[in-house]
Amino acid sequence: MREVGIVGIGHTKFGRLDYDLVDIMAWSSLEALKDAGIEGGIDQVFVANMGAGAVNNQTGIASALVSRIFLEPAMAETVENGPASGASAVKCGYLAIAAGMADTVLVTGGERMRETTGWKATDFVATLTHPDAEYAYGLTLPAYGGMFTRAYMERHGLTEKHLAMIAVKAHRNAEKNPFAHIEETASIDGIWDGPHREVVNPVMADPLRLYDLCPVSDGAASVVLTAMETAGRFKKKPIRIAGIGQATDTHCVFNREDLLDLKAVRLAAERAYAMAGIGPKEISLAELHDAFLILEVAESEEVGFFPKGEAKKAIERGETEIAGRIPINTSGGLKAKGHPVGATGVSQIHEIVKQLRGEAEEGRRVKNPRYGLAVNFGGFGNNVVATILAKE
Amino acid sequence: MPTTTELYAVDRNVYAFRCPECGALYYPAPMVCRKCRNRRDPSVTVYPDFEKVPLGGPCRLLTWTRIYALPEGIDRPSLAFGVVEFTNGIRAVGVLMTEKPKTGALLDARAGLVRELVGRDCYGLQLFDPSP
Ligand SMILES: [Zn+2]
Repeated sequence: MREVGIVGIGHTKFGRLDYDLVDIMAWSSLEALKDAGIEGGIDQVFVANMGAGAVNNQTGIASALVSRIFLEPAMAETVENGPASGASAVKCGYLAIAAGMADTVLVTGGERMRETTGWKATDFVATLTHPDAEYAYGLTLPAYGGMFTRAYMERHGLTEKHLAMIAVKAHRNAEKNPFAHIEETASIDGIWDGPHREVVNPVMADPLRLYDLCPVSDGAASVVLTAMETAGRFKKKPIRIAGIGQATDTHCVFNREDLLDLKAVRLAAERAYAMAGIGPKEISLAELHDAFLILEVAESEEVGFFPKGEAKKAIERGETEIAGRIPINTSGGLKAKGHPVGATGVSQIHEIVKQLRGEAEEGRRVKNPRYGLAVNFGGFGNNVVATILAKE
Repeated sequence: MPTTTELYAVDRNVYAFRCPECGALYYPAPMVCRKCRNRRDPSVTVYPDFEKVPLGGPCRLLTWTRIYALPEGIDRPSLAFGVVEFTNGIRAVGVLMTEKPKTGALLDARAGLVRELVGRDCYGLQLFDPSP
């Protein structure tokens, strides 16, 4: 198998974008090609998207993207793997190059969710739950987020204030990220201690509050992958894909022996570490899929950064801040950078590349990182992809 | 042949499914028994098929939430969900009908109309305080 590296990255701003989905994806794709110093020569395109058919009434997105930016006759497919579509598409790109089917691959994840109402956007994501045992009840992903949060708090003593502290960190990082959806500062005084908490930060899925949930965003992110053996012909030094791990878990969350056990996260990370030949201690920074802030907490434990139940101490000590022992969600995370579902996994990898190259903006740049981990979480943990990138 | 959701609506009930070969109980229905690999017939016409076992009665609340952004087809200011475990070990999600839910509380699950979609009634479990 050939080694694979990332030689180009591109990103749109996340938020509300008033142009069509394929244009959104075309923009980040062209940015990634420009970053790689190429205009064509792409053998294969993988597009990550979850909702084009349901939300935008458009299908065959990969073919549409190829044609909009004149990459024909490149091979092209759309990868739909729920909220983990992005990292799955990068995995497909890796496999195509490693196997020798392609030398250079463009991976673009994109979503346009704000075309519809907030509820419809939530509802389309909820279609990934079990049709009669979950969806029929009107159960949403935020509802599972709320139930998971309550179970975690009751077992491990995490408080709503810990979550507020993570929200403040996410906003602080996002403020310095030009692509982030959320641009406003958040302070503990404003969202937690202040007199107007119930107005500013109301309960949405008890005990989760507004500031504990990600926004509904439009946006796209892209990466250009190539075989490490020929990566020298590109403008920038490649960032190597050192490990990829993936695992699945029960469709219905309630059928897991322990409701708090995110087994697929743990297994995906273990598989990625094994492939990379490293452990959690070698990781310099991580992008963890925090659609609900509790997931940053639980995933940071499952991937081995902290023992179970102890992430709260790390939060109190500031260990996950930019200058901390293991900076988490330096981009602002899904929580503040935004969560255009199909784009998210690619965007996480975009951020790790940016950090490993030393190109992240002042104030959110991690010092001398060597390895970065991205965890892209599909369903409510029923399909998880972990990717480890290395600075060579 | 009805889907499981339609079956629930016709019967106004919610079922777990028992493997006729080895007796293992499942909710929701799998296509194959994990224990003995006996396959369920999804058309529900050919014998042997998985036996419908009405789901309900005493259960314990494992965790819960109350949401304020409500789905279509639900006519209330807020909606509470819980995950419960029955004495036979089967777990399910239900709509909480109690005012003050508490993790660990004993509840009584009954099948009822949980959501009305266009042209489609959704039957599911409603979770009540146990009757005295
Ligand atoms: Zn059986």
